[in-house]
Amino acid sequence: MKHTLAVLLACVAVVTGGQVLAHHSFAAEFDASKAIRVTGTLTKVEWTNPHIYFYLDVKDDSGASVKWTCESASPGALSRRGFKRGDLKLGDTIVVDGYRAKNGANLMDARRVTLADGRIVSGASAGDGGPQ
Amino acid sequence: MIPRLSRSVGLLLVAGVAVSAALVSAQERPLQEPDRKSTRPAPRTASGKPDLSGYWKGTRETKPVGNIGKDLPGWKLPLTAAGEAALKHNLTATIDPESLCILGGTPRHNASGLPFEVLQGANKVAFLYWYSYFRLIPIDPNRKHSDDPDPSFFGEELGRWEGDTLVIDSIGFKDEKVWIDENANPHSDALHVVERWTRPDYDHIHVETLIEDPKFYTRPFTYSRTWVLGAPDEELQEYACSENNVDAAHLGFGPGPIRPDGTRGYIDPAPLPPPLPRTQNPAK
Repeated sequence: MKHTLAVLLACVAVVTGGQVLAHHSFAAEFDASKAIRVTGTLTKVEWTNPHIYFYLDVKDDSGASVKWTCESASPGALSRRGFKRGDLKLGDTIVVDGYRAKNGANLMDARRVTLADGRIVSGASAGDGGPQ
Repeated sequence: MIPRLSRSVGLLLVAGVAVSAALVSAQERPLQEPDRKSTRPAPRTASGKPDLSGYWKGTRETKPVGNIGKDLPGWKLPLTAAGEAALKHNLTATIDPESLCILGGTPRHNASGLPFEVLQGANKVAFLYWYSYFRLIPIDPNRKHSDDPDPSFFGEELGRWEGDTLVIDSIGFKDEKVWIDENANPHSDALHVVERWTRPDYDHIHVETLIEDPKFYTRPFTYSRTWVLGAPDEELQEYACSENNVDAAHLGFGPGPIRPDGTRGYIDPAPLPPPLPRTQNPAK
């Protein structure tokens, strides 16, 4: 178990280097006290710089559909870690764990994405100073 | 029954294996590397000067990245009263210019955690940066600074060789929409930067930087740094910074909290929800 955990931590360290490399500081946009999980249907993908965005239709407690915007790293950073454009298919149900925007918008930093096939991928902007 | 803590650890590890597998299989190359020793001499051009060309990556030992006060005790910059006011303005009334796709300029790019590439010619040297920015510096010992250069983000840059050292002397900087580093420290239009670039061996490039700005800093200070050479097939890729700036409308002023170690980020973030085991993924 220790070895497995060490592998995980090593991988995180490889990705981030533990230092800030991102387009903007995590803290300039997101609130680290607002950790959230959003589950929804994928409606749109923008595989663009400086960040990719994907959009979810999410059912709220009353059953109404609410749109959420999920921000991840740049296309280059994601594809280098094996998270490809083709992994996001419109209509898929995906689970996104991350942090909500400081301004309260339905926008989140998608740090961990559970894809429809069950794979868990890191959407974090490497080393943006955000939670590891 | 599995104790709660053990089960949580188990779930973490299950997710960890999945994340690890995805990351390992992708063989992502880090943007920074541990420093390493080199036994190979620096390459030289036909004229006998060191060739600074290469794809250069920061080292893990460089801390804190993005802080121009890296080499000062406590990372404390010698700000004047005007400099203190400018810092306060940057922290409370400006969005990081680089996050709005404005050039980072000199010396900010030298403090960045991102790799860069150098292409050296006989009379010019090009520095190519991650966000598809570049600066092109003439190497001409007879060239003098203009009397009134147009303000720019990289300044008016003049290159010359002093032995095996490439010296880049720059004045004529902008004083709006500029942060001198990623921590929102300021510089004025009185900024004068002298970079002294060397390639001590094949695998390293090094800079000694003198930063003078009498409007915002009480005395000159220095910033030094060493990068390591990337693999032969590593190179910069397209990065269209202004392609889709959804984030711009949501960015707050300043870089956010500065931690005691001189980097940016929250000290005690809330943990994410535990990763979903594959069997509990609602999509399955």
